[in-house]
Amino acid sequence: MAALAGCGRDDIQVYRVAKETPSAEPQAPVAAHGQDQEQATLPRVQFKLPSGWQEVVPPGPMRAASFSIGGKDGQTAAVGIIPLPGVTGRDLDFVNLWRKQLQLPPATEAEMSKQSEDVTIGADQGKLFDMVSEKPIESKTPTRITIAMLTKDGTSWFFKMTGDHSLVREQKPAFVQLLKSIVFQPAAEPIQFTKAPRALSTNAKQAPRGESSEKPIWIVPTGWQEVPGGQMLVAKFLITGDNGAKAELNVSAAGGGLLANVNRWRGQLGLAPLQETELQTQVQPLEVAGGKAMLVDMAGTDAKTGQKARLLGAIVPQGAQTWFYKLMGNEQVVEREKEAFTRFVQTIKYSNAP
Amino acid sequence: MLLDRVINFFTSLRLTVACLALGLVLVFVGTLAQVDLGLYKAQNEFFRSFFIYWSPKGASWRLPVFPGGYLVGTVLLVNLLAAHVRRFTLTRKKIGIWMVHVGVMLMLLGQLLTDMVSHESALHLREGEAKNYSETEREAELAVIDATDADTDKVVAIPQGALMHHEEIRHPEMPFTVRVKHFFVNSAANDRAPDAAEPPAATQGIGARATVKELPRVTDMETRDVPSAVVEILTSQGSLGTWLVSEFIDKAQSFTWNNRTWQLAMRPRRHYKPFTIQLLQFQHDIYAGTDIPKNFASRVLLLRPNTGEKREVDIYMNNPLRYAGETYYQASFDRDDHGSVLQVVHNPSWLTPYFSCLLVGAGLIVQFLTHLIPFIRKRVSA
Repeated sequence: MAALAGCGRDDIQVYRVAKETPSAEPQAPVAAHGQDQEQATLPRVQFKLPSGWQEVVPPGPMRAASFSIGGKDGQTAAVGIIPLPGVTGRDLDFVNLWRKQLQLPPATEAEMSKQSEDVTIGADQGKLFDMVSEKPIESKTPTRITIAMLTKDGTSWFFKMTGDHSLVREQKPAFVQLLKSIVFQPAAEPIQFTKAPRALSTNAKQAPRGESSEKPIWIVPTGWQEVPGGQMLVAKFLITGDNGAKAELNVSAAGGGLLANVNRWRGQLGLAPLQETELQTQVQPLEVAGGKAMLVDMAGTDAKTGQKARLLGAIVPQGAQTWFYKLMGNEQVVEREKEAFTRFVQTIKYSNAP
Repeated sequence: MLLDRVINFFTSLRLTVACLALGLVLVFVGTLAQVDLGLYKAQNEFFRSFFIYWSPKGASWRLPVFPGGYLVGTVLLVNLLAAHVRRFTLTRKKIGIWMVHVGVMLMLLGQLLTDMVSHESALHLREGEAKNYSETEREAELAVIDATDADTDKVVAIPQGALMHHEEIRHPEMPFTVRVKHFFVNSAANDRAPDAAEPPAATQGIGARATVKELPRVTDMETRDVPSAVVEILTSQGSLGTWLVSEFIDKAQSFTWNNRTWQLAMRPRRHYKPFTIQLLQFQHDIYAGTDIPKNFASRVLLLRPNTGEKREVDIYMNNPLRYAGETYYQASFDRDDHGSVLQVVHNPSWLTPYFSCLLVGAGLIVQFLTHLIPFIRKRVSA
């Protein structure tokens, strides 16, 4: 009997099955935003950090990596590694773009090839350009750009060092060493964590019903920090921007009509209440998983802080209940998060579906 | 004589009473223990065990303190059998008692068999969705999939038990070794911020940008453990790196070895079937004006390509689908009422309780009649 119990439970099984087609219920896409979304799909590099250089994390838009270098007398230089997938054969355009930044006249194809030198980038050969402005542009000394270029697997790679003329020249050997240490890596797959795995099947008699104000299943975009929300809120997220700017996202499930809630929000922004007839002009429709929702976008002055603020609100009717998502705060932060917010709201699941 | 004493012990009626009393205590204590341990752990520790163990906090040793369900059941069975062989002779007068005893023994054996060979899994379907496999929700497997062919995948499914107990897993169908570096029965996996102090969970795939941590096991009925593991792929030419595999990760992670594409996925353990079940419609009726459920029903389409079988079946409470040695019960549903969960029970000995009850019932009637009829005859003749 004991042998029978053990039999098969821990055995490795081998079988051949037809390839799975995507399920009827589409998986919620990852609600990443702006830079993070790019970061996830950009090709990546590994490198050996030259001594005295600081890696900038996160590297910034469009960049696979960024570094900063400090020199004497407050001199600075910045290095960026920029992959441009699908952009090839436009080297002259780019060289001239940077020449323009240095207030230099455009170069011709012949001049460009004359000025370039060969450089080793990882296991490949690329071209290196060195250019310097004739007069100071942003700092006290002239600006120098040292740039290496390489086209690999349909992606143009640019390794650009910009900064004070003498510092950039001094750091060129370290830059060349960095180029040698480069190992190219394919774009990372976007992370697809499910917020919570599917709930267990429970006895049908006990399956909850009408308890929809418990948290739905959502994927929190990177950079959003969940904080305690208090009694009236289902959830609250804090989003910070540059220089201490911030915005808050409040999630609540409440009764009350659309007009009452929109006017409550308008009050928080110091705006006059709307009439029923005016409401339609302020509301945009929004498709969400499993139904339709409404989106409002308002700007005003935060009644609490007295500072300029923008409010993005999504109202999602779900059965007998209505869900309210209010993103309010610093205008720049709200603008930056708009796409992530919309996608967040669109992909929320309110049932225990997988 | 020692043998006589052993025989006396196993045939004694006192032992029967003692076993029944211990069984009572066991059921009582085991039921209470479910509060802290949860149903599944309590079942395993109290009923699916020969002994109940106790160990002081933090100690690695443990002491058996009480007989477990298997021991009590086995001793009771031996006691019944031994007593039967020793005391009962098959005479016409005792045929009823004989039937009752065989019935009880059959029930005990049947339950033991059910416990050891029966298997439960769940089939969760959204309306319109079709599946040819059910899943064991409380047990994971690491699917190592050769996804090179255009139409089919070859799956090497390594069950959770093997991942927990073996450091290195080799199989003739895998051209590499899977080394289990960490296994967490319950875990949390998260995105890792690029500047986080915590190291990434793995070197390759999603794990290179994620962190994982172990969580205490859950005990309540509504939630479950979510296992994760960090595995290293070792080839004849060295390591290909480490991967984080977790039920938190929806998508299989790919890598290439010897010009073949392999995928790794941690998922609930799957049980494939030679047929497909599609959920056509789920119905959830409630009593008017209340939230009290009246009826749950799933209309499914059963498709078996190799026999051409195609039929619609209604599954609802007390009307399961019995098919291919399995029983499909209506178990749960999605909150939006567009998805259904069927419990899939494979229990080859499902008929034994019915049969043993019939046998015990019939035995009691026979025994009663064998006394009643002579008694009435006596009365009539007197």
